Amino acid sequence: MASKFGLAGGIPERRVRPIWDAVDSRQYKAALKLSVALLQKYPKSPYALALKAVVLERMGKGEEALSSCLEAKELLHSDTGPFLDDLTLSTLQIVLQRLDRLDLATSCYEHACNKYINNLEIMMGLFNCYVREYSYVKQQQTAIKMYKAVGEERFLMWAVCSIQLKVNYSSGGEKLLPLAEALIKKHISKSSLHEPEALTMYISILEQQKKFDVAFEVISGDLGSLILREEDKLRMKVFLLPLIVFHFSFIFSPFCLGRPDDWETFLQYLSLLLEEDIDWSRHATVGSCTECISSSKSKLSQEEFDIRLSSALSFVEELQKDAVKNCTRGPYLAAVEIERRRSLNGNCNNSKVVEALVNYFERFVYLHELNEEEKAELLDKISNKFAVYSKVHTLGRTVTVFRIQEICSSMWKKEIQDLETTTLKKMELFCLHLSKNLEQQESMLGEELLFMATNTLVLLFWRTKNLGYLLEAILVLEFGLHIRRHVNLLKVLLVHLYSFLEILPLACDWYLTLDVKNILLETISHHILPQMLISPHFNETSDLLKESLKRMTTRVILVILLAWHTAIATTLGYAIEFVAFHIKWKNSSQYLISKLDSFILDLKISANNLDELEKVLEGANYGLKPLELAQPDKIEKLTCNIDSQTRPWWSPRTTVNYLSMPFDEESASVCFGPKPCIHKTNENVGPDKTEFERKSLVPRIVYLSMQAASPTPKENKETTNGGGSSATIADELGSLLERYARSIGFSFNDAIDAILSITTGENSFKEFSDIVSCISFAIFVNAWNSSLNHTEKAGQKAISWKVVDKLITTCVREKLSSMGPALTSTGSEVLVLVQLVNESLSWHILIIQSFIKSVIPLGKKKKKSGPADKQNINIPLLKAMQASINCVSSAIGEVHKWVLDQVNSTEDHDVDILMSYLTTDGNSVGPGKILNVLKESLGVVEESEVGDRIYDMVKSWSPASVLRNIARAQHKVLTDFSQICDSKLRVLESLKQSF
Amino acid sequence: MTSIRRFCCDDLLRFAHVNLDHLTETFNMSFYMTYLARWPDYFHVAVAPGHRVMGYIMGKVEGQGESWHGHVTALTVAPEYRRQKLAKKLMTLLEDFSDQMDKAYFVDLFVRASNTPAIKMYEKLGYVIYRRVLRYYSGEEDGLDMRKALSRDVEKKSTIPYKRPITADELEYD
Repeated sequence: MASKFGLAGGIPERRVRPIWDAVDSRQYKAALKLSVALLQKYPKSPYALALKAVVLERMGKGEEALSSCLEAKELLHSDTGPFLDDLTLSTLQIVLQRLDRLDLATSCYEHACNKYINNLEIMMGLFNCYVREYSYVKQQQTAIKMYKAVGEERFLMWAVCSIQLKVNYSSGGEKLLPLAEALIKKHISKSSLHEPEALTMYISILEQQKKFDVAFEVISGDLGSLILREEDKLRMKVFLLPLIVFHFSFIFSPFCLGRPDDWETFLQYLSLLLEEDIDWSRHATVGSCTECISSSKSKLSQEEFDIRLSSALSFVEELQKDAVKNCTRGPYLAAVEIERRRSLNGNCNNSKVVEALVNYFERFVYLHELNEEEKAELLDKISNKFAVYSKVHTLGRTVTVFRIQEICSSMWKKEIQDLETTTLKKMELFCLHLSKNLEQQESMLGEELLFMATNTLVLLFWRTKNLGYLLEAILVLEFGLHIRRHVNLLKVLLVHLYSFLEILPLACDWYLTLDVKNILLETISHHILPQMLISPHFNETSDLLKESLKRMTTRVILVILLAWHTAIATTLGYAIEFVAFHIKWKNSSQYLISKLDSFILDLKISANNLDELEKVLEGANYGLKPLELAQPDKIEKLTCNIDSQTRPWWSPRTTVNYLSMPFDEESASVCFGPKPCIHKTNENVGPDKTEFERKSLVPRIVYLSMQAASPTPKENKETTNGGGSSATIADELGSLLERYARSIGFSFNDAIDAILSITTGENSFKEFSDIVSCISFAIFVNAWNSSLNHTEKAGQKAISWKVVDKLITTCVREKLSSMGPALTSTGSEVLVLVQLVNESLSWHILIIQSFIKSVIPLGKKKKKSGPADKQNINIPLLKAMQASINCVSSAIGEVHKWVLDQVNSTEDHDVDILMSYLTTDGNSVGPGKILNVLKESLGVVEESEVGDRIYDMVKSWSPASVLRNIARAQHKVLTDFSQICDSKLRVLESLKQSF
Repeated sequence: MTSIRRFCCDDLLRFAHVNLDHLTETFNMSFYMTYLARWPDYFHVAVAPGHRVMGYIMGKVEGQGESWHGHVTALTVAPEYRRQKLAKKLMTLLEDFSDQMDKAYFVDLFVRASNTPAIKMYEKLGYVIYRRVLRYYSGEEDGLDMRKALSRDVEKKSTIPYKRPITADELEYD
């Protein structure tokens, strides 16, 4: 910024520079002092005011900054105002953008443009304002004005780019495409085109109108010389030509020959050859970012299909001959694809697929097409082939065989003993190859063994539910990471295993070692955040959330916009892509859900202190801010930016964990088996919109429930918080509760029926996937009922205080009676209790607290007669509330007792319990063997073989210390939970005293 | 089987498994965006069937006079796709751009002095250690500045090793 100097509004540079220097070095106080002094000297200078606004905004004084901007704007708009220069305008724009008042910046630029017709600099500023506001039409009009003013190609392209944005990202822009084409043609006739990007843009406009023949002609003509790389030009032609002519192989062949390993091109080739129906529009220009996927069946006759496929095979075989020299593997996979297509088209001959696979087996296989016998045949053939290889590549080859076995031998169907044996082999091999002579690259093969051993052990757990296997999986990973600390993909598995065992402190520690930063916070924080958000570890969760939010803020969106500006000057194609990315980012569910989670976490943290909580609610505009984030139109636009490919097979999505479910072969074949070839991308995994909506409702519902249950709602806040009279509160709460019910999968009435059926014993909690939200719903409905008079309630099935009490008691009793020791709990057994106390019961206590506060003014708490002597108090309500306090107190008391029982266990005792899962006792089947293998193999390791570093690591590793860490971390979970229970009990005790 | 194509914004959302490699730096968004906007020809990704990112190369062209050169800012291949000469393909692509399109004199890159496999690989690709940059990585580890002369540098002057190690402050370009 300091470089933007010159005479601005008549102020000499020497007076301005120190202010910018101070801003750049974050000396804001000094900067403010200087800017105030400058303003005294130049009181009528909009630039001086803009500078002051910059400083104030940086100091966090948003309102003062805005006021300074408005003053500057007024001066700019006055008839006698000073000369408007771009520096003043752009400085104002910077501040206003940060204050989220782009409209004001635009208005200043618009005024300036009207005042100084054809001032290019100001027009460019205005164009950029419209870019930031997504005003595509105004962008286009401004660009055209600039083009008319100076006739430069770039401004014409800005206009064309704006038209494309309008066509792509808003409705009704298609009719503008002919206009764009006409403008470009006219320009070409006058002065041709000079930039490759301009030509790309022109082709793109033609493609969008399906004028493929014209586009092809343009590329083939003189203008084609603008595309400097022949390969790029050829690629564009390749995508266009088939759309206008039928005989394409003459152009495809040389292209494929030049790039025998290009999968995308090969798929295009096959699709064209088989005349499959594909939407080709804009492939030449944007095809680089989209994978052409063929899913449609060929229209050709069987005979013609076979002929063409045979010709493709001959062509691919030619490519294979060349490819051998270059070690490329693509043509071999291409042969597999050809056989697969043949099979898909009804001519099933899987022996040919097997043959193709044997020729190309190492990397990518379509094993799901084969039956069991064919898979066995394939394995045999591969093993036979391996037998002839030299020992140099033994490890690599063995790993490959293991890999293929894992993929094609339906592991989930194998005998337990077989699974154990294969896991043992992998671990033995790993220990055997702990060698100093192994290159770093080859060490990765060892990690592959650990990866596979873990997978099998987890599968064994799923099948047998024997915790020992999970503990062994953890030992395998911990050992691997002890030897090599940096294998991050193994850490991700550990994060998930520890989370599943509800040992979140260790999960969190391992996640932190991933050193996740920048854009990865958006794409991979899903590995830890969902679990932490329901944990009792407030501080750690808050830190994780803050870090995520800090990186996912609107600043990122600004960065994308800045890149847009760079791109529009150079690569227009990217400019359009940046806009798409910008829109995607702005609607990112990770970002928006983190914001909602942050509101809810703050509520949970402050729930024991009503004053603190009110401040939190005030900060969230009494729950209106979260609600605004989840307006229906915004929910529709939600995007999902997570990279789900890094998730383990047993938990492909945050809401799914197969290990919590009973084992069944069908599910196992889906999650553990080979994935059905390709085209399953994480983009298909959309955001969880119902969860998003439910979270957005919670803060407002909590606030309104607190108000509803109080006999005297705070009328004075009507204008600011959308609260108001009892009637309006009840109306709003009623409608929000209907949405809440929908978000947990019920209609309002069905949800109430379901809850009542639990309290009458007709139904059990097991019927509900989300117990906590269900109980919260009952609590909120009860608060809502309290705000209605009996006439209004007539005809409605009531959820009363008694129903809520019964529900809480039943839930706690059911949960506690089914709980085993916390140390060996899996899934979210303890965490459900934590969530129940931290959320549902917290909301309930808050509702009661709010009531009591409203009837006992501050300072009069100790009055002997309590609140009952207030004339407007509803005595039955008061009694119901009193009973509820006792009920919640007793429920939390029971939970607390259970937690304390668990905490009281000694660490040694806990380690013994865990170790008992790993004791084989001479049984032929069962966990414990891996531990034995590790102990035996590591006991005989020689320093001379493995080198001093690995030797030290091996010797310093102890399985017992891993188990001790687990016990210790579990203790922390319980201690943190115990403290929460304790604090809730204290609050309840003080509430009891109020009566 | 591989498709090598220009990097696009959405690739940033699916390269996590590549960047989880501890030697691969994850930069901030503006860094990637700037490279995309300014040097799109130097930013390519290799994609496997199924849209899985196998690896990518990010670079730029900069300098003046005989220092006009291509620079490899990041080159990474996911562990499961190594040993297939993918890095070589990506490097060749960048070298071709620098050589044929931008007429640069040489291509250079920085590598951790401890990253022996990478150094060996670059040597196989024709790169030589031009000089050592002291404490280049986070002020802790030395970096090696490796160079490969392009056709314009007929006498390969650009790759004559520098006599002494330098500090990061002495670097001409950042």
